[in-house]
Amino acid sequence: MGERERSVEEIIIERLSADNTPGPVANLLISALLGEEELDKALQSGPMAVHTASSEHGSAGSAEPVRSYLKSITVEGFRGIGPQITLPLSVGPGLTLVTGRNGSGKSSFAEAAEFALTGENRRWSGSGHSVERNGWRNLHQREATHIQVDMAEDGKHGTTTVRREWRQDGGLDEASSYVQASGAPRQPLSVLGWAKPLELYRPFLSYSELGALVRGKPSEMHDAMQAILGLDQLLDCERRLNNARKRTEGVSKVAGQELPALLVKLGSHQDERARAAERLLAARTWDLAALATLASGADAGTDELAGKLRQVTAITLPAVGIVEAAIGRYEAAIRHASALVGTRAADASRLAGLLSVALDHQREHAGQPCPVCGGRVLDQEWANNARREVTGLAAQAAEADAADAEQTAADRELAQLVPPKPSVLAADLGSEADPARASAAWDAWSPPGVSAAEFSAFTAAVEALKAQATEALRRRSEAWQPIAAALSVWTETARQSQQATAALRDIKKAVSWLRETGNQVRNARLAPFASTSARVWEMLRQESNVELGPITLAGAGPQRKVALDVTVDGVPGAALGVMSQGELHALGLALFLPRATAPGSPFGFIVIDDPVQSMDPAKVDGLARLLSDVAKSRQVVVFTHDDRLPAALRQLQLPATVWTVTRRERSELILKKTDDPVARYLDDARAMAKTEQLPERVRAVAVAGLCRSALEAACHDVVRARMLADGVRHDDVERALEAAQKLHDVMALALFGSTARGADVVGRLRALGGQAFVNVFRDVKSGVHDPVPGDLMQLARDTEKLARALRR
Amino acid sequence: MSASSVTPEELLDSADQLLTSSFAGSGNVWPQACALLTRLALELTLDQHWARNLPSAAECGMRQQLLLLPSYGGPEAALLAREAWLGLAGATHHHAYELAPTAAELRGWHTTVTRLTALLAP
Repeated sequence: MGERERSVEEIIIERLSADNTPGPVANLLISALLGEEELDKALQSGPMAVHTASSEHGSAGSAEPVRSYLKSITVEGFRGIGPQITLPLSVGPGLTLVTGRNGSGKSSFAEAAEFALTGENRRWSGSGHSVERNGWRNLHQREATHIQVDMAEDGKHGTTTVRREWRQDGGLDEASSYVQASGAPRQPLSVLGWAKPLELYRPFLSYSELGALVRGKPSEMHDAMQAILGLDQLLDCERRLNNARKRTEGVSKVAGQELPALLVKLGSHQDERARAAERLLAARTWDLAALATLASGADAGTDELAGKLRQVTAITLPAVGIVEAAIGRYEAAIRHASALVGTRAADASRLAGLLSVALDHQREHAGQPCPVCGGRVLDQEWANNARREVTGLAAQAAEADAADAEQTAADRELAQLVPPKPSVLAADLGSEADPARASAAWDAWSPPGVSAAEFSAFTAAVEALKAQATEALRRRSEAWQPIAAALSVWTETARQSQQATAALRDIKKAVSWLRETGNQVRNARLAPFASTSARVWEMLRQESNVELGPITLAGAGPQRKVALDVTVDGVPGAALGVMSQGELHALGLALFLPRATAPGSPFGFIVIDDPVQSMDPAKVDGLARLLSDVAKSRQVVVFTHDDRLPAALRQLQLPATVWTVTRRERSELILKKTDDPVARYLDDARAMAKTEQLPERVRAVAVAGLCRSALEAACHDVVRARMLADGVRHDDVERALEAAQKLHDVMALALFGSTARGADVVGRLRALGGQAFVNVFRDVKSGVHDPVPGDLMQLARDTEKLARALRR
Repeated sequence: MSASSVTPEELLDSADQLLTSSFAGSGNVWPQACALLTRLALELTLDQHWARNLPSAAECGMRQQLLLLPSYGGPEAALLAREAWLGLAGATHHHAYELAPTAAELRGWHTTVTRLTALLAP
């Protein structure tokens, strides 16, 4: 205690940095502490964004909650109680005992309080209590049934009422219930927000539960302790990490699990890309980038047939019009040339040559007869004519040459219009495209001896083949599409699987770190709790040969448990089997009390039903001391059928208020306050007053002292009741009482609520009960030092009157 | 005090012997015997204390003695006496149905009375 408890988060961050946990692992742990979402984020974002400062999350609310105390328990027609009866309780810390024989109905108060607040009763809800379940309604009071608990919140004015009531024929589960603060409307019980605290700090304990606390399921005890120590955060963290591990493990396997189906799809596909994908998938590590490219269909280079088909579709022939024009030009040239055949033009060149030779001959042999025909003399006149003739013939020869050249050009143009036959037409284009016709048509195309009609047929053959190729390509692409889609989906899955595999390593490290460190953190937090248990055990064990060593949380998963280090006569491990019932119950209390009185509890009260049963006498005074110790800071209400506990309290002079319950016929209960500190002091004072063996002076001093104690106790009652009702916090009330050491101050506090009003005390006392009260007050104050002569029995009686008047 | 008077220490020694070894003849009643010896040691201790401090108190009942003890012997002595008396009075009161005290309980009371005797020694 003392120093502020550090949050689980703080402890973990500290340990993480102390043992140099790798960043990603530390990151996962802290994210898991913060919550599910944070963990998911950390897992998705991958190994980065390391949390460093998260102090703003932890360290919340280590202040103690406002506590509620019981003001009264009212019961009608429930269990052993018939007509309505109210058990009044003094608000604030203190010990109240309710005693009564078995069957007096006292336990019904405890059950009613528990049932009112929790809606259940552990004693019945444990297995096999169907009889109890049916017998909840009082036999003698069947019409009206209700239970009501009035409470006061520490430091708050007013009363909070929790009530459950049943219709005449309603079942136990059919109660209507509400909570109502004074002056406020009725509200459902849930507004109290006690569901979790009731689980954590359950302030009710019954006899039957005592043993069960020790003998209950080890894992439940473990979890209960975890929760109470605020370690459920650790538990949540562990659970989140384990869930994440399972999820991630699943994700990391999906790619592998889906691979066979993908391979079947690929196998049934002809496409060369399918083969490529198979090769990539067979590799030891998947090349996801290559697979993604393949899936997108962008790279067709791998597919030979598709390449050929695509070549086919790329074939282009000139337009028919162009070929027609070329053919027309060619034919025109032919026609021109053939028109000159048989004309002089065709011979002009030759004749011009002949005449030129003849002219050369004539120049050397002028005037001689023609050597060819031997008739005509080749004279000057012939030469002149022949020269004219040669000039005309040359012009004619030029025309014939031009026609010749024109034909040659047209021939060449025609030959060049259609490219050479592509080699792909000789290849195998699969079942969907047959190049034979197109190939034959291409072969048959032999310009210049071609016609436009021939070209049209040629073009048709090629276009038909191209159409086939295009269609084949389209079909192939359509068939690949779903496989490409599947491949692309799988590739994404595989990417996530690979990422998950990487994350899984970190998660596993985080889990094992938490397992190792978690137990250290747990036991560090457990230490104060365990020491309370040890103290409780020490007080109860008396001279028992059972030693209770440190309590630890041990094990993990289904093996988790609270390890009680119990040794019997120094022999470890002998454990619970050899312990007596009484010892088991004492141990049960040792486990119950630290929980019920944990600092985080909003309950200022604990209600214990019959803890004394089967306890050795020596343990009973240990119990008396223990309960009175707890009662210093808690309102402790104990129900017991055994008078040993009240006797021990009285004998040890431990303050307690004792109520005795008796039961008349028809379940009518009678409550009587049989002991409280004031009554006890006055009893002692009267006993002392009658002890005539003692000297008068000694008796007078002793009686005055006891009467003073009685008045102080009465004043304390008054001060506590008033201040707490006024909304003063319990701690402040106790401080005020502690500061008022002298009876005069205490009286001023009781009468006026302030020690500063000391001067008005006597006046107020006179107003309350005349001079008699003033005298009692004076005699009690001074008589402790200077024996006041007089009737000591009268002093005790007057003191009792004053005490009663004060408390009224 | 005469030499023949029994002292609280003697009584406590005898009680201790009953606790640690079995006395011939003590048979089944040794726990009651032990409780009785311890109780007598307590009473004798108080008697001797009152003889020195408030002789008339020795004639009073134990209730009065316990009420007076805080003023005449201090709070710690008063508490020890109360504790021991609470146990011993019950154990030595003869109830036919009540079981004998256990060795552990007897040891506890014995220890308490031994401390008280030492505390109140002159």
